[in-house]
Amino acid sequence: MTVPKRANRKKIKDKDFELIRAINSGQFDRFPELVKRYEQKLYNFSLRMCRDATDAEDTVQEIFLNVFRYLKDFRYEAKFKNWLYRVAASTCIKKRRKSKFAPERELSLDEFISQDEAEGPNQVPNWALMPLDKLLNDELLDKINQAIFSLPEKYRLVIVLRDIEGFSTAETGQILNLSAANVKVRLHRARLFLRDKLKGYFEDA
Amino acid sequence: MHNDEHDHKHCLKLFDRLSEYLDNELDDVTCTDIEKHVKECVPCFVCLQTLKRTIDLCKQTENRPVPKAFSKKLKEVIQNMPKTPSP
Repeated sequence: MTVPKRANRKKIKDKDFELIRAINSGQFDRFPELVKRYEQKLYNFSLRMCRDATDAEDTVQEIFLNVFRYLKDFRYEAKFKNWLYRVAASTCIKKRRKSKFAPERELSLDEFISQDEAEGPNQVPNWALMPLDKLLNDELLDKINQAIFSLPEKYRLVIVLRDIEGFSTAETGQILNLSAANVKVRLHRARLFLRDKLKGYFEDA
Repeated sequence: MHNDEHDHKHCLKLFDRLSEYLDNELDDVTCTDIEKHVKECVPCFVCLQTLKRTIDLCKQTENRPVPKAFSKKLKEVIQNMPKTPSP
């Protein structure tokens, strides 16, 4: 059977192109450069996805081992960073499946709607009006991190990639193998969930 | 979310699209529809503003530095890997 010739797609020459090409052409001693370039990003991504710092460290190590293992399959058809996060997200998802977590909860739009209806807000609260730099402090940042962490994983992955890592809807869809519509639904629910946590925090303060 | 003067179904329909609106991912007609609606519907305006602030806050979360001990360990693991990726 003849294998159809692969379509000659344009290679994306991003800032990692030369380094990846060098590693893939046999300069494996340059792999630590790639680790240095992305270890902080992946460490923080893993901290947001894992139970604790030890788990995050194990995950980062596993991500880089997977990157080393599969780098030869990278076709330069996407930005390397996007491919890297695809490996990272899939490592996190697989790791979770191996552990004994309870099944994930679905977030429904109704739970956010009914809360708003019950409260009937009639003015914008102070926390949404104050200048951001006046509002921010360590306690609040801690609260936001806790709120992000309390999201079910599939929503957390989307909000971390979109609002923290800065990937577009299309890129997030490619990283997680989701349609753009699905990314948007999960992102909206994740944001509403966080908004409710923040509302609770400011109302209790 | 809604008040008596507004069509509740319309509020719900727009509530669904608020993130897309804030991300500039909607067509002009829907954007205009949302902008017109939030000018008249206070609960929807509040909802939009608090959602926007939530996104702004989320973007402010800081990255922690990699612990030095872990960075060193990671370097060692990488250096001790087989020099060619497994097939």
